[in-house]
Amino acid sequence: MTPLALAPDTTYLAFEFSSRITTPVISGAINGAVYGLLGLGLVLLYKSNRIFNFAQGEFASVAAFTTYAGTAGFGLPKMPYVFAAILGVSAAVVVALLTERLVVQPLFNQPKVTLVVATAGTALLLIALEGFVFGAEGVGLDPVIAGDALTSGGLRVTNQGVFVVVVLAVLAALTALFFSRTKTGTAILAVSMEPTATSLVGIPVKRISALTWGLAGLLGGVAGILFAGNGGLLGPGALTAFALIPAFTAAVFGGITSLPGAFLGGVLIGIIQTLGARNIPESVVPDANQVVIFFVLLLTLLIRPAGLLGKET
Amino acid sequence: MSAPDTQPVGGAVLEVRDLSIRFGGLQALQHVNLEVNEFEIVGLIGPNGAGKTTAFNCITGFYTPNTGSVSYRGRDVTKAPPHVKAAMGFGRTFQNVGMVKSATALENLKTAQHAKAGYDVMSGLLGLPRSWRAERALTAKAEAILDLLGLASIRDKRVGGQSYGTLKLLELGCALATDPDILLLDEPTSGMGPDESDELGERLLVLRKEFGLTMLVIEHHVPLVLRVCDHVYVLNFGRLLAEGKPSVIQTHPEVVAAYLGGEAPDALEATQETEEDAALDAQLEAQVHAAGAPEPDALAAQPEREPVAGAPRTRRKPTAAAGESATRTRRTMRKDTP
Amino acid sequence: MTLTASRPVSPPADDAHSSGGREFGPIRWLPRVLVIALLAFWVLVVIPRSETYAPFAADAVIFAIVGLSLNIIVGYTGQLSLGHQGFFGAGAFAAAYAITVQSLPFWSTFVVAAGVGALFAALLGVAALRITGLYLALITLVFGVTLQRSLFEVPEFTNGGAGQPAERPEWLFADGRFYLFCLAFLIGVVYIDYRLTQTKSGRALLALKENERVAEAFGVNVTSFKLLAFVLSGAIAGIAGALYAYRIGNVTGDDFNFTLALTFVLMVVVGGLGNRLGVILGATLFAVLDGYLLEEVGFLHSFTEQIFRTPNLAQYDAQFLGALGLLLTIVLNPGGIAQQIQPFTRWLSGKPFSLHGDSESGPAAVEGSHVRA
Repeated sequence: MTPLALAPDTTYLAFEFSSRITTPVISGAINGAVYGLLGLGLVLLYKSNRIFNFAQGEFASVAAFTTYAGTAGFGLPKMPYVFAAILGVSAAVVVALLTERLVVQPLFNQPKVTLVVATAGTALLLIALEGFVFGAEGVGLDPVIAGDALTSGGLRVTNQGVFVVVVLAVLAALTALFFSRTKTGTAILAVSMEPTATSLVGIPVKRISALTWGLAGLLGGVAGILFAGNGGLLGPGALTAFALIPAFTAAVFGGITSLPGAFLGGVLIGIIQTLGARNIPESVVPDANQVVIFFVLLLTLLIRPAGLLGKET
Repeated sequence: MSAPDTQPVGGAVLEVRDLSIRFGGLQALQHVNLEVNEFEIVGLIGPNGAGKTTAFNCITGFYTPNTGSVSYRGRDVTKAPPHVKAAMGFGRTFQNVGMVKSATALENLKTAQHAKAGYDVMSGLLGLPRSWRAERALTAKAEAILDLLGLASIRDKRVGGQSYGTLKLLELGCALATDPDILLLDEPTSGMGPDESDELGERLLVLRKEFGLTMLVIEHHVPLVLRVCDHVYVLNFGRLLAEGKPSVIQTHPEVVAAYLGGEAPDALEATQETEEDAALDAQLEAQVHAAGAPEPDALAAQPEREPVAGAPRTRRKPTAAAGESATRTRRTMRKDTP
Repeated sequence: MTLTASRPVSPPADDAHSSGGREFGPIRWLPRVLVIALLAFWVLVVIPRSETYAPFAADAVIFAIVGLSLNIIVGYTGQLSLGHQGFFGAGAFAAAYAITVQSLPFWSTFVVAAGVGALFAALLGVAALRITGLYLALITLVFGVTLQRSLFEVPEFTNGGAGQPAERPEWLFADGRFYLFCLAFLIGVVYIDYRLTQTKSGRALLALKENERVAEAFGVNVTSFKLLAFVLSGAIAGIAGALYAYRIGNVTGDDFNFTLALTFVLMVVVGGLGNRLGVILGATLFAVLDGYLLEEVGFLHSFTEQIFRTPNLAQYDAQFLGALGLLLTIVLNPGGIAQQIQPFTRWLSGKPFSLHGDSESGPAAVEGSHVRA
């Protein structure tokens, strides 16, 4: 460490720059990739149902907890990580489909805000169930790929981190292609714009809705496993408390109707958040990264509700 | 008769000068001028999309025009927001019925008296005696309006379930409840049959007489326009196409062309005052006379655009009371003036 | 054609049920008076004397005050607020700070709490002028969480993680007394809320909830009344926060996490949006469920802990039941508790007992209780 008493020489400046700017940008981008992944599911459901799904964080949690249960055994023989992860993502898809069938469909004609309250209720229910099974203390999930890809000075990039960014980029590209190139994708968009008319031209609206939610569950599940594998303890509701709000902010910031927007927004939010947290002392603003998120969201909604890449609000 | 608030009869209540507004690429209104004098009923007509409702929205403050001015009794009120204008005395109705659908008829009429409720929010929340007194007065006035319009039977019915014609009438009642000086009615007869429309026309004339109202009316029903309007403005593609007495407008070639795309002038239905109408007038006059009103001149439009003779000479002081319910209305309506 | 103005005045419309209520005989009112007296005796005499019930009853009353406060925003203006725990917490910290650090007199701490709650609510209210619907729900959620994680952790005001003490004056030490003290506040809030719905403010809020243009044409200043709703709601939530601070004696930031905000929304929706009694009952249900039934009696958590063999599940029991109650309410019974108990409340108010409510009822109906999209 360079002592602060020394006159600012180039080494010191370089160190300062790296610890205040470079490191936060890189680690922020990795955190942000998970927000983006979670945000992709939010954008998907907003595009198709015009709602905010407050249960998205818990779809992710369900996948992470199930993966943990698979790798830890829970009395059964321990599974290889890949199988456990597949089981986890499947669990998230099942939960999303159940949500769609039991909560969303009965409320199809209700005001959207009622539906949003219902998704928040679903989140609360899932948190309680996770609490019942795994306890309040939280569990630790291993990373998908252990080890570091790069360490230099204060900077440390894990393999998991690189993997997260790659997965996000691939999934964002795939979902974007899905909506622009496939029949099912365009059908989903058509349903979102004109539910009555589309059912008249023979598109099975109910099946499309289930498909969308299943897809959202899948994206959420992948996000959950990657987030939990980043380190730290996974407790009931942790993803709702710590990842859902940045994910929403990312989705709105990037443009709530834009899938590439969610990707871009996620990475940018991650970077802004980490830069803020690293450069604003805790004694001045406690938990600066949350405060930064609030202001980014507020300013986006006030100045440009359509977001960076969105075309409509 | 000559109360201190007497206005020079015939002064312009509403004056719109050079009004223009643009939405994106659409020039909705262009250099529109219009004037509504005291106690006049002025018609605003034109084909669909001509900008009539836009003009209403500019006048009542829902839109801010790009250029031009709106003056009310000599005061520039171009930038005043809608609720301020409502408090000033602009009462308006909407094309598709503007009321609180989940509330009852009585509640709507009380809501409409918001600006003149006679107590502040705090004394209402604390339940000070003055708020209780004022609430009773609001209810009484609302009930009087229901009686006046023959809607007493739906007093406690939710507005949402009523027929369109009833809604239009009740909405007129709400506009009256705002204690207006000038009424702006957006297609008051839409959804009504010919008989109902005629009845509404009579009602407007009676209301003008009783409450000293000035009106600007968007209307498609030609017989009504001919029957009640003293002056008519015609809008087409956001521009003022013509103005004048209804009978002149009726045969104005450009107006007819605008409506019908250049058909024969007589294509516009020409409704002359029938004997039946004349009889109605006589009946009306008789009622007015019986109630002790000063002898009004004929209600028919004057040859020049001069003060409307049949109208009362003091503002907001009903001089004519036609029948028992109207007398009661007037009495209760006066209560709110401190 | 007849001129309506000349028609005779028709008599005021008389509803079938209201005329029934006027025939007052002892057989009609005696059972009702007895039931009301019994309830009053239980609430005013039995509960305050019970060492066990009183603290939870105080919780229930405090929650009911929060519920009524939230109902002003959600039920009357139709906007969803998911950050109400922020105003509640701000009030709690303001009261604790005022009495412990500033040594202000006990009564004035409620004024401070109401002021701080109103101030934060006003800030959010300003945002609500531009941001509506789902976006407002989102920004309120983030606002609440931000207050909890950041502002409630500023050591100067909140004493950091250790918490800010808030001690009751001696005459309120007894839990029974404190419960009655809270009840007095609830009665005051119910009165204000009742007056709100009965006067021009309530009508203005309903009008602007349904259609802002109509409200404006009726002369309602939409901006002021939206702000009024937020400020009033925030002030009441702030007072509830102050009561909560004195109830628990030491306020920490963790008490006000986002699940509390969701719980507030749950209890209002389960109780019946827009219905005063429903909201109070919903709040009571959640407070009693959370505190008394689950923690003291432990009727569910011994059960869940045996099944899942994990300790410390009490917090999730309440959450589980609450969330389940919410989903069932929204999906199966949108009127909430208020609608369920309507036959009983109608009977109490002097009308004949019937399982079918008014079909053509006016302001008292629970209908239209959905928040706006």
